[in-house]
Amino acid sequence: MANLHRAWTGIQLLSIALLLILGVRPPQPLVTLGPQRHVETINPKIGVHTRLTDEVEEWKIKRTLEMVREMGATWIVEYFPWAYYEPEKGVFDWSHPDMVVDHARRQGLTVVARLGYVPEWARPQDSAFSYLDESHYDDFGDFVYAFVSHFRGRVQYVIIWNEPNLGLEWGFQPVDPAGYTALLRVAYERAKEADPQVQVLAGALAPTLAPPGDPEGMNDLDYLQGMYDAGAAPYFDILAAHAYGWKFPVDDPPAADKVNFRRVELLREVMVRNGDAHKPIMVTEGGWNDHPRWTKGVRPYQRIEYTIGAYELAAREWDWCLAVIPYAFRFPWPARSYQDYFTFVTTDFDPKPIYRQVQLYARGERGAEG
Amino acid sequence: MSGWRTRRLMVWVVLAMAVLALLACLRWPGEEDRSLERVKEAGVLRVGLDASYPPFEEIDQTTGEIRGFDVDLARELGQRLGVEVEFVNSGWDGLYDALEAGRFDVVISGLVYDPWQTDRVAYSISYFNAGQVLVVREGEEDIAQISDLKGRTLGVEIGSEGDVQGHELRKRLRDLDLRAYTAPDEVLQAVQEGEVDAGLVDSISAYQFIRAQGGVRIVGEPVSDELYVVAVRLKDKALLQAIDAALVEMRDDGTLTRLIDKWLVTVQQ
Repeated sequence: MANLHRAWTGIQLLSIALLLILGVRPPQPLVTLGPQRHVETINPKIGVHTRLTDEVEEWKIKRTLEMVREMGATWIVEYFPWAYYEPEKGVFDWSHPDMVVDHARRQGLTVVARLGYVPEWARPQDSAFSYLDESHYDDFGDFVYAFVSHFRGRVQYVIIWNEPNLGLEWGFQPVDPAGYTALLRVAYERAKEADPQVQVLAGALAPTLAPPGDPEGMNDLDYLQGMYDAGAAPYFDILAAHAYGWKFPVDDPPAADKVNFRRVELLREVMVRNGDAHKPIMVTEGGWNDHPRWTKGVRPYQRIEYTIGAYELAAREWDWCLAVIPYAFRFPWPARSYQDYFTFVTTDFDPKPIYRQVQLYARGERGAEG
Repeated sequence: MSGWRTRRLMVWVVLAMAVLALLACLRWPGEEDRSLERVKEAGVLRVGLDASYPPFEEIDQTTGEIRGFDVDLARELGQRLGVEVEFVNSGWDGLYDALEAGRFDVVISGLVYDPWQTDRVAYSISYFNAGQVLVVREGEEDIAQISDLKGRTLGVEIGSEGDVQGHELRKRLRDLDLRAYTAPDEVLQAVQEGEVDAGLVDSISAYQFIRAQGGVRIVGEPVSDELYVVAVRLKDKALLQAIDAALVEMRDDGTLTRLIDKWLVTVQQ
């Protein structure tokens, strides 16, 4: 009887142990990468800027990228802030960008990575996120090296900094094409050291008509010439351009005193003048906004027509343009301002009419239904 | 440990927690909220805005001055607080940062209540709702709310928020026929002429059309909310209370209605 009791106690203990083991077993992932997908589109230059940096939940990252593919876009630009991934010098955490890049690649998308945002350890206390003293350029170079090494074979395009011709993006310091060129040189050399095949994009200049001496920024055409004067040519493979149309239609002709979509052609002229005709341009931000009352907005139907027109223009006439990647696909939360009227889908993943029209265009069905 | 010792220890723990809770409720002498006094002592309320959103704020091309609904609202607030008003025109993207940095005391700039920002700023009560509204022809008595749209035609501006919501409505309202137009005025014109039974547009477009042309009216509650509010720094509670009190007064004495009449008629010349 005693033996039987001991055996029964043993069974009970074993059951409890099994339950405990099962209970503490790590939960299985709910979101998987899924099968390899491919973008189906009539225009391989279609892209869209995503905003996944602050998106925490993996299913939302995956759903966003699925919808990008389903829209018919091949390219995405995504922001990879230095401060997020190197919180301490030499300490890297790639878990989130790995998730974004792997999901994007599984959806058949090409990732263009914008690098910037200075960590606190690399700048003075209370300085802006975009402030980087020359003494820390090598730290940024180390980050670029680490990023390109880590994503070798997965991310083939990196944009160095964002809109350095604006004071806001240059640490609220006087903007300085020579200073940016020095930073670009460091980043380019470290990127190529990590992966000779990686393509380095420079510029990403804000289109602006700021007059000389304006503390807010420098005219983008002057700034690009300033970069060439400072010897930038050997230190980039592609020029990143920001092409906002504001109130103007897509075919509005370019002019030095006007900010419109085709201002990119003037950047191209600066490149040609400086012996860089062989290098392509990629529109890594831009498009139109359909806020009902913003003075730079257009009507929603105009935004649809101009956006599709921009994709077509790049495919038909701009053989030097690799992709048109308007801003922005979706925000992780509503901005509750004019910014929301740049998006293609709502925060809740509801497609806006522009999404459906681009999708029809990418499928070659717009003539019939659009 | 014996029972009485345990009980004594528990008493001390509870007492210590009570003292800590009491201390937490006390205001540190240096943290007194002087936001309202500060504005009154300076004699000026500094208002941040982005003058790119007519008719709420825009640059008058003739005079170069900032004008609009929000400008008048701010002046009215200043008057009720007994101070002058100074406007600081600033890019939208930096409005909250500049408020936090103390470049101005309040933001009044067609600012929509945003729960994501409530860890850094405090909002007043709403002074205007720019959400989507249902509009019908004058004399139309059978449509008083969204549910009356079954089997009806609804005009929307293609690609607009009204269009998005119209498609949502079609999922739950049987036989709702959506018709798309390229501008809100075209939607409202179609309502006025009986081409569609109702229109779904933002309230500002509706107000402007009603004042300028008439023949249509807003029915029911707004279909969606887009609440315009004043923002102050999170710690400036005294200033916020004074602003809320002034806005309530302005609502009750008809000032807000007068501002709507003045600025939402049509684009100011």
